[in-house]
Amino acid sequence: MSRISQTAIRTLVSIGPRFLPFADVATPDLPLGRLLRLSLFQVSVGMALVLMVGTLNRVMIVELEVPASLVAVMISLPLVFAPFRALIGFRSDVHRSALGWRRVPFIWRGTMLQFGGFAVMPFALLVLAGQGESGHLPVWIGQLGAGIAFLLVGAGLHMVQTVGLALATDLAPPQDQPKVVGLMYVMLLVGMIVSALVFGYALVDFTPGRLIQVIQGAAVVTVVLNVTAMWKQETRDRSRAAAPEHEATFRDAWDEFISGRNARLRLLAIGLGTMGFGMSDVLLEPYGGQVLAFDVASTTKLTATLALGGLIGFVFASKVLARGFDPFRMAAAGVLTGIPAFLAIIAAAPLHSALLFVAGTFLVGVGGGLFSHGTLTATMTLAPRERTGLALGTWGAVQATAAGLGMALGGVVRDIVLMSPLAAGTGPAVPYIIVYAIEIALLAATLLAMLPLFGIRPSDAVTAIAKAAPLQGGIARLPDGRRASS
Amino acid sequence: MNYDPDKVWPSGLTLREAEELHRHIIDGTRVFGFFALLAHILAYFYSPWLG
Repeated sequence: MSRISQTAIRTLVSIGPRFLPFADVATPDLPLGRLLRLSLFQVSVGMALVLMVGTLNRVMIVELEVPASLVAVMISLPLVFAPFRALIGFRSDVHRSALGWRRVPFIWRGTMLQFGGFAVMPFALLVLAGQGESGHLPVWIGQLGAGIAFLLVGAGLHMVQTVGLALATDLAPPQDQPKVVGLMYVMLLVGMIVSALVFGYALVDFTPGRLIQVIQGAAVVTVVLNVTAMWKQETRDRSRAAAPEHEATFRDAWDEFISGRNARLRLLAIGLGTMGFGMSDVLLEPYGGQVLAFDVASTTKLTATLALGGLIGFVFASKVLARGFDPFRMAAAGVLTGIPAFLAIIAAAPLHSALLFVAGTFLVGVGGGLFSHGTLTATMTLAPRERTGLALGTWGAVQATAAGLGMALGGVVRDIVLMSPLAAGTGPAVPYIIVYAIEIALLAATLLAMLPLFGIRPSDAVTAIAKAAPLQGGIARLPDGRRASS
Repeated sequence: MNYDPDKVWPSGLTLREAEELHRHIIDGTRVFGFFALLAHILAYFYSPWLG
């Protein structure tokens, strides 16, 4: 190679990382390329979420004319698996393998379930809608098929995300975990945005054949992304494979985990805050349309504004938390951003101010980003080394259940107020304002629940585990990131 | 190359490791087979073939 080309390559290599917001994540142990590759599992999870909650939601109602209530039931089925994330995480913690793997077998199983669900789903949806020759069949066949397909995808994505995040925690040194969390969230958003655009474009001219191509294409892409993500990531721990078996049950591990300092309060704060930010997710667009007379294009831009706010929140939180800022204070800053944001959205109705509404939506995104980042970073850094899967599984279980319940509750509360005789003649804004007021109350409760959590250090959280260590032979992590066999 | 009675060649894995990988392949094939069967049954309901 000539000297000129050597100099050119060296220059390019030195310039490249400066234009990537997460380039400084790279460490000798976990280079950026490997981390980006690992985060591809989040892209597959984002794709599955958008396909089920966004694209298929519309396709089933508009193109396939399935009743909206049945669609709502199908879409909420994956939520059934959310509480099992804690169990999945625990199973991956204690998994014994001759190969010395803990996480890879679970990511592979989750990928298979996601693939299987998507492979079956298009036919199940077509039979559910009574298309083709299936019109004369009993309705339960289509319902059962679609139910199985949605359950499979739901189980798969919960498994992949829980164990994938546990693997990321295993690989990242403690000081880099905030940046890894940021990257994982950004990749989830990227997966959602890109796949929403691709699915929208691919289904412009809807035919049953095109539906099969799109969903089964998503199945293949899921396998490719997840296999690429986990390829050569987890090191083989021969000592773990050779270690004598000890009977750690889920109950023992759960009791240990929940007896950690303020563990219940941490979960309560995560649940309340997630619900507080998530209740209005599906109501922002109709509020803009019905109350502030936004057209369809403008309301779609609202979702983009919310996502942009979230992105800015994640990047900002990554930068600040990497300098050692307390993650619970960061989450509280998110809540303190969210409360005035919802007040602005409420005030937009009497003032007829579109600007106030858009600014409020943007700030809800920022606040939600700071809150999610803060709570996940806290979960990662406080997780005892041998119970990472359980800790992240519990976080995921609480977070996913609260988000799902919040979204459903938002819609139900709006509809109940709308139908109530008290709301007659009060204008279209009232049902929405009541939901936003509930969100403000939930965020205020979150803030109260988080006050005792400020400044908790990893050593505080593992105290209880260290005490119970003779039973488990566990390994706790010291505040400076070293491991201590206890 | 030193002969190691625990390892099987050409993979260089121990017998337990090789058996575990093999079990993943067998289980994977069964699960994918089940998904394929389910998809074919539903596809037949939608548009029967050989009719």
